[in-house]
Amino acid sequence: MGDVVIILPFLLPIAGAAVGMLLRRWHRLRAGWSLVVLALACAVTATVFWQVAQSGQARTFQMGGWPSPFGITIVADALSVTMALMSQVVFVFGFVYALGAKDKAVHYETFHPLFLMLAAGLTGGMLTGDIFNLFVMIELVVISGTVLTAISDDRFGTEAAYKYFLISLIASFTLLFGIGSLYVSYGTLNMADLAQRISANPEQPLLPIALILLSITFMIKSAAVPFHFWQPDFHTASPTPVSAMLSSVVVKLGVYGFMRLTTLLAPSATWIKDLLIVTGIVGVIFGGLGALGTHNVKRMFAYSTLAQVGFIYIGVGWGTSLSLAAAVLFTINHAIIKSAMLMLSGYLASRAPVKTASFSVVRGVGRYAPLSGVLFFLGGMALAGLPPSNGFISKWALFWSGVVAATSGAIQDRWTYWLPLGLVGISSVITLVYVFRALMRIWWEPFEPPSPEEKVKPRGDSLLAPAGLVTLCVLLGLLGQPLTDWTQRVSEWMTQPGKYVQAVLQAEETHRRNFSVQP
Amino acid sequence: MPSLGAEFALALDGLSLLFGLIITGIGTLITIYAGYYFAPHEPTERGEAEGRFFLYLLLFMTAMLGTVLAADVITLFVFWEMTSITSFLLIAYKTSHAASREGAFKALFITGAGGIALLAGLLLASALSDSTDLSKIVHNGDALRASEWYHVMLLLIAFGAFTKSAQFPFHFWLPAAMSAPTPASAFLHSATMVKAGVYLLARLYPAFGSTATWFWMLSLIGMSTMLIGAVIGLRQTDLKALLAYSTISQLGALTMLTGQNTPIAFKALVIGILAHALYKGALFMIAGGVDHATGTRDLRQLGKLWRAMPLTFAVAAVAGLSMAGLPPLLGFLAKESLLTSLLEPTDATITQLVQPAASVLAGALMLTQAAIVSIDTFVTPPGAGFPACFNRPSTSKNHSQHKHHVHDLPLGMLLSPIILGALSLVITTLQPEVVATLLAQAASTTYGNKVKVSLELFHEINLPLVLSGVAIGVGAGLFAWRSQARAVLHHLMLSMDTLYNAILDALDVAAQRVTQLQNGRVRRYLFVMLVAMLVLVVAFGELPRLLSNHILTESLATALQGQITPTEVLRASAMTLAVAASLVSVIIRRDLLAILAFASSGLAVAVLIALEPSPDVALVQAIVDILSMVILVLALSRIPQHQRRQAEALNKHPSISNRYSALLAMGVSLVVFLLSWYALASRPRISVVTPFYERNAKPLTGSADIVGAIVVDFRGFDTLIEICVFGTAGVGVMTLLRLAMKKAEASRLTDSGESENNDLEERSRLTLSNKLSGIDGLRTSPFVRMVARAAMPLSLMLAFVQMVYGHDQPGDGFTAGVTVSLAVGLWYVVFGYERTKQQLAAFKPPLLIGIGVLIVLLSSTSPILFGQPFFSPYNFGEALHLPLPHGFDLTTSLLFELAICLVVLGSAIFILDTLGRPSHMEE
Repeated sequence: MGDVVIILPFLLPIAGAAVGMLLRRWHRLRAGWSLVVLALACAVTATVFWQVAQSGQARTFQMGGWPSPFGITIVADALSVTMALMSQVVFVFGFVYALGAKDKAVHYETFHPLFLMLAAGLTGGMLTGDIFNLFVMIELVVISGTVLTAISDDRFGTEAAYKYFLISLIASFTLLFGIGSLYVSYGTLNMADLAQRISANPEQPLLPIALILLSITFMIKSAAVPFHFWQPDFHTASPTPVSAMLSSVVVKLGVYGFMRLTTLLAPSATWIKDLLIVTGIVGVIFGGLGALGTHNVKRMFAYSTLAQVGFIYIGVGWGTSLSLAAAVLFTINHAIIKSAMLMLSGYLASRAPVKTASFSVVRGVGRYAPLSGVLFFLGGMALAGLPPSNGFISKWALFWSGVVAATSGAIQDRWTYWLPLGLVGISSVITLVYVFRALMRIWWEPFEPPSPEEKVKPRGDSLLAPAGLVTLCVLLGLLGQPLTDWTQRVSEWMTQPGKYVQAVLQAEETHRRNFSVQP
Repeated sequence: MPSLGAEFALALDGLSLLFGLIITGIGTLITIYAGYYFAPHEPTERGEAEGRFFLYLLLFMTAMLGTVLAADVITLFVFWEMTSITSFLLIAYKTSHAASREGAFKALFITGAGGIALLAGLLLASALSDSTDLSKIVHNGDALRASEWYHVMLLLIAFGAFTKSAQFPFHFWLPAAMSAPTPASAFLHSATMVKAGVYLLARLYPAFGSTATWFWMLSLIGMSTMLIGAVIGLRQTDLKALLAYSTISQLGALTMLTGQNTPIAFKALVIGILAHALYKGALFMIAGGVDHATGTRDLRQLGKLWRAMPLTFAVAAVAGLSMAGLPPLLGFLAKESLLTSLLEPTDATITQLVQPAASVLAGALMLTQAAIVSIDTFVTPPGAGFPACFNRPSTSKNHSQHKHHVHDLPLGMLLSPIILGALSLVITTLQPEVVATLLAQAASTTYGNKVKVSLELFHEINLPLVLSGVAIGVGAGLFAWRSQARAVLHHLMLSMDTLYNAILDALDVAAQRVTQLQNGRVRRYLFVMLVAMLVLVVAFGELPRLLSNHILTESLATALQGQITPTEVLRASAMTLAVAASLVSVIIRRDLLAILAFASSGLAVAVLIALEPSPDVALVQAIVDILSMVILVLALSRIPQHQRRQAEALNKHPSISNRYSALLAMGVSLVVFLLSWYALASRPRISVVTPFYERNAKPLTGSADIVGAIVVDFRGFDTLIEICVFGTAGVGVMTLLRLAMKKAEASRLTDSGESENNDLEERSRLTLSNKLSGIDGLRTSPFVRMVARAAMPLSLMLAFVQMVYGHDQPGDGFTAGVTVSLAVGLWYVVFGYERTKQQLAAFKPPLLIGIGVLIVLLSSTSPILFGQPFFSPYNFGEALHLPLPHGFDLTTSLLFELAICLVVLGSAIFILDTLGRPSHMEE
C-alpha cells in the first residue's frame, strides 16, 4: 500500500478547503484553520523530504492500492519532494502575508479555501507519477489561480484572469493531446512505465508530436517567450499574496515538467534540450528588457520571472549533472526571492496614497517605510545575484556548470555554452539596473505627490512574511552548503532515471494486493 | 562550499600585507576623521543617522580586507562584490540628492558589469586549473597561458579589474562617485577600493602575465588612463573632482606598471601604491575639511585660506609636494621608480619612447594639479587662474554665511591628514628598514622573484632624474599658465558619459519595445502563440514521417472498401451535423443562435459517442451540453442589449486580421485533424492498462461498466481532483459575481445616500408583487408550474437511481448532479428568483460543495480503518453484514458518487443562482 503519508501534502489542503467552505461565517476561525492546515501540510512534506533524503530511496503510494501502472502512482523522489517542499514553504509564507494584508479580496469568505486549492493542485502536480493525473492537477491550479486573480482588488484582475484562462485552455488542449498521443503509442499513463517503454521503443511516429506538445504546455505554464503573454498581466493584477505564489512557485510547475521530460520521459530527445536553451536565451533577454521597461513594480518582477525562468531553462537544457543541480538550486532560490520581492511590492502599494504599485505613485513612498527598504535591498541583491545571498550561489552554480561544460565539452557544442553564458551575463547587468533603479525611485527619491492631500498611509500590509523570506535568502546565502549539496544529490537522481522507474515498478511488486485475477 | 569546489579561505602574503596595512591603517584614521566630520554642525537628514555611515564604512573595510586576504577566487569575488555594494551605499549616502543617486547608480552599473565578467573569468580559470584555490591557479600559469581560452579569460578578468580601478574608458564613474561623503571618498575612492583592480591584476600576474597581450593591453589602457585623467583633471572646478581625476591618472600609471615584465616595475608599483594612498588620503581629508569650514569645494570661490587655516595649509602643502613628485617625499620616489622602470620596457620597441614621454607629461600635469590644490586654495585669491569662459557661480548666500566664521579645523579632523602627510616624509627621510622590507616582500610575491626595494632618495644623476626635472619644469610652467591651459581644455570635449547615457538609453528603448508587445489584446496574444505552436509542431513533430505511414493509407482504403450499414449512415450524419453546427456557430452573427448551434454540435457528438458504443460517456456529454447551454443563455441575458448588438456588428465586417486568424485556425485544425486521424487509425492500440481494467472491473470493483470502474475506482483520484476543480469553478463564479457586486453596491450606497435607498425600496416592493411570476417577472401558466413542481422530485429520484445503480449501468454521480441542477434551473425560470431561493433554501451551495468533498475524503480514508489502502474500494454493507436489498451495495463507490453529485449540484446552483438573480437586485 505504500506510504500514505506522501499524499498528505495535497490531501490536507483539499480537506482544509472543504472544511473552510463550511466555516464561511467565522472569518477568524477559517483563517486560523487554514493556516494550521497549510503549516501541517508543510510539516508533513518536510518529514517526507527528510525521510527521502536520509534513506536515499524514493517513496511511492498507489492510489486505492491498484498496482502501477493501472492505478495512479504518487512518487516522492528527490526532485518531486524538493519541489513540493519548496512550494509548501513559500505557500505558508504567502498565507501569512494574506493574513496581514489589507486587500479586500483576502477577506472574501472563499479566499482561504481557494488559496488552499491552489496549494493542493501545485503540490499534487509535483508529486504525481501519473501523467494524466498531472493534467488534472494542472486544471486545479488553473481554475483556482484564475478565480483568485479575478477577485482581485485591482480593476484589471478580471481581465487578466480571463486572458490567463483562455490561454490555459490552449495549454490544457496541448497537454491532453500530448497525453493522448503517448497513450495511443505506449498504452500507459504511468510516467515510470512510459519512461521504460519510450526508451525501449523510441520509434513510435507520434512520440515527437507528443513531446513537442508537452513542451508547448510546459512553456505556456512557465511563461516562456513567446508563450508568456498571459503572465505580466496576470501576475501584476492578482492580489499580492497570490501573485507572490504565482510568480515564484506556480510557474515552476512548467519548469518541473521540463525537468521530468528531459531526464525521465525522453532523455534521448536532445532536441528538447536545444529548444530549452534557445527559449531560455530569448526569455533571459526579453524578460530583462521587459522588467526594465515597465512602469509598475509588481509588473517589473513579473517580467523578471520570465528572465529568471530563462536561466533555469538554460540549466536544464545543458543537462549536465552540474547544470541540472544548478537549475534545481536556481528554482528554489528564485522561488524564495521572487515571492519576497512581490510581497514587498504589494506592501508598497498598500502604503501608497492610491493602491497601486505603479512607479508614478510609489515614488518616494519608501522614505516612510525604511524597514521595507532594507528588505528590498537585500532581496534585490539576491535577485541580481550579488553575494552574500542565495541568488549569488545559484548564479555561481549556473555559471560554473556552463564553464565546466564549455571547457571540457566537444568543440562543436561550445557555442551552446558560451553564447548563453554571455547573454546570461548581460541579463544579470540588466537585473542590476532595474532592481536598483526601483530601489532608488521608491526609497531614495523624495515623495512628491501631485496634490498635498495625498499622503502615505500610516499602515500597510504586514511585513512579517517578506521579512521571513528575505532572512531565508540571506541565511541560504551564508550557509548555502547543505542546500547546494542536496541539489547535487537531486541531480544524481535525475541523471539516473532508472532509479525512479525502479522505485515505482518495485513498489508494484511489493505492494501488489491479492488480486483474484492477475494482470 | 566544497560541493561547488570552492571554500572560504584567507591567506596572508607580502602583497596582502601591504594592502592590509593600508586598509586598516587608513581605515582607522578615516574613522577618527569621520567622527569629527559628521559631528554636530553637519545637518543630517530625516532618518539618516551617522550610525548608518559607520556601519557601511566598517562593512566596506571588512569586505576590502577580505578581498586582499582571499586565498580562493570565490572568496575573493564575494568580497569584491561586497566592496561594490558598500561603495554604492556610501556614494548614495545623501539619498535625497539626485547627484548622489546618479553617481551611485553609475558606479554600481559599471563595477557590477565588471563583476559579472570577473566571475566568468575567474570561473574559467578555476575550471582549467581544477581548483578555485588562488595559489593553485597562480601556479597553473603555464597551462593557462597555453590554453585556447587564455584571451577570453584575460579579457573578462581585465574588464573586471579595469572597471573597478576606473581605467579608461570606464573611468567616468569615479568623478561621479565624489558625491559620497568625503571620508568615504578618501577611503574607498582613492586609497583602497579603486586599487582593488590593480591588486587583482598584480595578484594574477604570475598566472596571466608576461605575454604580449598582457603587456600591450595593460600598457595601452594604463597609459591612456594616466594621460586622460591628468588632462581632464586640470579642467575641473570642483576640488574633489580634480582629486578624483588625479586618482584616475595615478591608477592608470599603476596599471601600466603591472603590464611590464621587469622587477623594477614591481618595485615602482608597490611604492606607487603606498605613496598614492598616503598623499591622496591626506588631500581628500583636507578637501573635506575645507568644504566643512567654508561650505564650498568650488575652486573658483576658494582662495587665501592659509591665514584662516594655517595648520590645514601646512598639511596640504606636504601632501601636495608628495603628489607633485618632489623630493624629499615618497611621491618623488614613486615617480623616479616609475620612470626608471619605463625606460627598461619589456617590449623595447616604440614603447621605450612613448611610455616615458607620457609619464613625464602626466607627471607635469600632476604637479600642476597638486599646485592647484595646495596653492590656489590656500594662497592665491579666489578665482585666480581661471579664464573667463569658466563662469563663476554667483556667490551663494550659504557660502557668504559660512565665510565669516572660517577657522582652522579641529585637531581631531587634522590628526589623520597630519599622520598621513608625515608618513610620506618619514618613510623617505628616515628610511625605516621595516617599510623597505614590507615593500620588497610585496613586490617579490607579486613578481614571483626577488625584487629589491630601497628607499634612498638620491643615487646619482641619471636619465630618470633628468626626466623628473623636465616634468617639474613643465609642470611649473603649466601652473603659471594654468588659465590658458584651462581655456584650451574647456573646449575639448572628452566625455565617456555620453556613451554611458547612450547605452542606458538604448537599453531603455529596447525595453520599451518589449513592453509595447504586451498591448493587452488577447487576440494578438493568441495569434502569436498559435503560430509559434504550429511552427514548433511542424519543426519538431516529424510530420512527414507520420504522413508517409502506411497506417493512414490503409485506413483510408478500408474505409472506402467497407460496406455501408445503417449505423454508418447515422454516424456520418451525426458527424456532418457536428461539423456543420460548429461551423455555423462560428459564422453566425446572432449570439443566441450561435449558442444553440454550438449546443447542437455537442449533442451530435453525444450521438457519435453513443454509437461507439459507450452510452455512459454519451449520457454525460449530452447532459453537460444541455447544462452549459442553459448557463450560456442565462449569462447572455445579463449582457446589456446594446453591447450584444455592438458585438454582433463587429462580426459583420470581417477585417484582414480576421482572415489571417481564419487561415491560422485552418492550419491548426489541419494538424489536429492529421494527428487525430493517425491516432484513431492506429487502433487497436497497444494498451497496457485496458486488458487489466476489462478483466478486473467486475471482480474487484463490482462494476460491470469499465468506464464507471475507471472513473470511480481505478482512477478515482483523478475524479476527486476533478470535482475539486468543479467545486472551485462554482465557488469562483459565486465569489466573482456576488462578492464583487456586493462590493460595488456597498460603495455605491455610501456614495449616493438616500435617493438610492428609496429606489431600492421601490424595487423590493415590485419584487414582492411579482411573487407569482417567473424569470424577469413573466407570468407562468399553472400547468408549467405543475410540471416544474413534479420535475424536482422526479429528478431527485432519477439522481438516486443513477447513483445507486450507476456503477453497473449508464449514469453516475455526475449525471445525477447535473440532472438535479437542471430541475433547479427550471425552477428559477418558472418560479422566479425569490421563490426558488425560499423554497430550495436547503440547497446551500457552499455546504453542498464542502460536504461533498469531505464525504469523498472520509469515504476514501475509511478503508484504512479496515486495513485497506487509502482510496481502495470497500463494501461497508458486506463488511458490517447489513441487510440490504439486492443490487444495492453500500460501498465507497456509492459514497463517492453521492459526493460527486453534491459538488456538481452545489457548483451548478452557485452559477444558476448568480446568473438567475434578477438584474435589479444587484444594481
